[in-house]
Formats: sequence, structure tokens, C-alpha cells
Amino acid sequence: MSASSKRKNVGGVTLCADPAREPCFRVAQDDGEMETFQDTMSEAARRERLHRHMNNEMGAMEIAAQCLVDFPEAPWDLRMQLARQTFDESRHVRALYRRLRQLGGHKGEFPIGNFEWAVTNMCDTLAARLAIQNRTFEAGQMDLLGGLRKIWRSVGDETTADVLEHILADEINHVRFANQWIRKMVQEERRLLLKVAGAIRFLADTNAALSPGREAGPVEASLEKHTRLGINVEDRRHADFSDDEINEILRQAGMSSLLPTGSQP
Amino acid sequence: MAMILREKAEYLATLRWLEVFLMETLAAWVPTTPEMEIKVLFGRHIWDAAQHADALGKRTFELRAPLHYTLMPLDPYVRVMRELAAVEDTSGRIQAIYDVILPAFGERCQHYLQNSDGLLDEPSLRVVERMLNDYARMKRERKEVCEELKGALAFDSARARKWSRLESAVSKIVVHGSGSTLAPGVAV
Repeated sequence: MSASSKRKNVGGVTLCADPAREPCFRVAQDDGEMETFQDTMSEAARRERLHRHMNNEMGAMEIAAQCLVDFPEAPWDLRMQLARQTFDESRHVRALYRRLRQLGGHKGEFPIGNFEWAVTNMCDTLAARLAIQNRTFEAGQMDLLGGLRKIWRSVGDETTADVLEHILADEINHVRFANQWIRKMVQEERRLLLKVAGAIRFLADTNAALSPGREAGPVEASLEKHTRLGINVEDRRHADFSDDEINEILRQAGMSSLLPTGSQP
Repeated sequence: MAMILREKAEYLATLRWLEVFLMETLAAWVPTTPEMEIKVLFGRHIWDAAQHADALGKRTFELRAPLHYTLMPLDPYVRVMRELAAVEDTSGRIQAIYDVILPAFGERCQHYLQNSDGLLDEPSLRVVERMLNDYARMKRERKEVCEELKGALAFDSARARKWSRLESAVSKIVVHGSGSTLAPGVAV
């Protein structure tokens, strides 16, 4: 049985069951079970950031690997990109784990969540999985990393900032190949556009279902943080987002004033 | 005995099947292996297998076979590979890849090198030699990771020996003369 075909139920939503983790990890099923800190750059908070990021990279590696398993008929060049992505993500996990240990942390020190794996693997087409994981989650990560490396530098941690800088460079490639392949696949088979749109809607619905009535649930909180850190326009261009797509993202983030005059609503 | 051109393409196409099989096996094991360091090791080596398959697939085209020509090995060998891919415990998976499959693929590569002309087929030899170098690095990386885990995993060497015997009992793996090897001159 493929790892992506197992299911779990979280808050009434059916999602893909968690990938295998060692017993030392406590797996959270929603953001409320994750550890948060008032001082977001305290020593413990820094370790928690690295620990969370390490698990997210592990999830990204697992998602890319699972795409190789679930879509053996995908074009070879795209499979090569996915194989490369697993390699990149594996290096990210190692780099973040190394840094975590340098700062006195250890695996299993904080709770982890597998939300990206759980949502992405509910999609039954490769185009939809790329749209969710690479084009949405990883592109969001690209925005966050654009701001986070500056925050780490501002507290004097050049080493972590350097790790994030290298991860960012790799993520741009992952977002770019996804953008290019989604376009190509949709051009060849228009019905895939509906699959991609359905996947994006599923993500939005899942976010909404798992954070009902909270003052600042996981989605709102992350969007708020996201907006505070800004949209990484330059790297989104590198990742082959069109100007229209970037403008739309800026609009959604409430940054319309940054748009070129002609494109303001 | 030296191979003719068509047989070389078939042999490389079979090696390509093995590398794709390795890539897919490792990929299936990444989400289902709990130990983080081993999961990461498997994820890392997916890219090695993919690069080998890519280089072999390009070389088959140069040998007048289709681009990325891939030939499934003879049934007995496929059965052995599938048995190894079905292993579920982490120690067994590590042994299956690094103690059985990589040494076995290395032997099959050596067979190719010994039966090819080092000058006329030098591009193939470069590809195969690079694979052998990578296998050596991959095994070294396994050793380093297992040392890092400080004996957290217990290995059953008798099981690995049994698998190796099963693998080496299949001497011939390539399906020759299927008639579909020669390409019409275009990539497919």
C-alpha cells in the first residue's frame, strides 16, 4: 500500500496519514499543539524554529519522493527534477539538524506537524501536487526565507542566516520547475486546470476547517507573519511567476500600494 | 566474449531499468522509514540513481536505440529485486541497498566493462565507471550515517548473505534480441 493512500481524520477533515517518524517526535495534528514563544528569538524559540523547519524540509523530501512513486509515467525530465528535489531537501534537513545541534538542540525537542504532506498527498494528479507543495507551500517558504535570514542576521547569527540563504536558492529552483511543468501539463491537457483549482480550493477549505473561530488560527497567524515579512518579489520572478501572478499575490497580501500604477485595481 | 552494438544497448537499457528500480525503491522508503538519518540517506541517493538512469538513457540513444531505452531484466532477477523492495524494517532496507543491491549492480557493471572495447565504447565506459565511483561513495555514506547512529540499528548479516546468494544465482539478466532495440533514428 502506497504511503499516500493511507488516511487520517483531523477535525472532521480527511487527510493523508502521517509519514513515518521516530518515537522521539511528538506529532501535532494542528497548530495549537505546536510550541510557541512570547520572545520569538529567545534561545529556545530559535531552536524551535530550526526544529520546525527541519521537519518541514523532511516533509518536502517525502512529498517529492512520493511523487516519484505515485507517478511513474510522468515525463522523465520532470522525474529528474523531483529526484533532484529529494536530494536538495535531504541536504536541507542535514544542514538544519547540524545547526540545531550546534545550538544545543536535539531531534524531538519540540512537537512537529506534517500538514503539507497530509494535504498535498490528497491530490491524485502530479500537476495538483506540484501546485500545492511547490507552487504554494514552497513559494510561501521562499517569501518567509527572504525575510527570516535578515532577522537571524539582525540577532548576530550569521551561520543560520547563511544556511537559510542556501536553502532559499534551492527552493527557487523547486518552485520554478513546478511553475514551468504545471504550465506545460495544463497546455497539453486542459482538464488539469480544474484539478489544480480543486486542489487549491481543498487547501483553503482545509485551512478554514482546521482553524474555525480562533482569534488568530494557524492560517491567519501564518498569513499575518507572512505579510509582515513581505512578498519576495525578486525571487518569485526567478521562480518564473509572471508579473500578473506576483501582482495578484501582492494584492492578496494587502500590498497594492507596491504595484506598478497601471496594475492597481 | 565481446558484445555487439545491439547487445550493448540492451545491456545498458537493463542497467537503466535497475537504476530506475533503485530510485523508485528508495523513494517508496523515504516516507515509510522512521529514522530521520536513514530517511535522509535514502532521499540523498535517489538523485544518484536518477542521474545514472539519465546518463544510461542518453547513451542508449547514441547506440542507435531509443532515448531512455529501458529493458526489464529476465523474470528471475526481477523476482529477486521485488523481494528486496518488499523489505519493511529499516536495518533490512539498509542491508538490501548497500550490502546487496549496490554490490550486485557493481558486478553487473564490471561485466559490461570486461566485455566492451575501451576505445570504441569509451562513452559507455565513462558512464559505467562513474556509477561504480558513486556506488563506492554511497556505501561510504551509509557507513558514516550508521556510525553516527552509534549502533542503534541491529543488522542480521545472515539475511544479507542469503539475499546476496539469491541475487548472484541469477547469472543472466539481460533480455537480448527482443527485436525492438534499434531505433528508427528518432528519440521516443
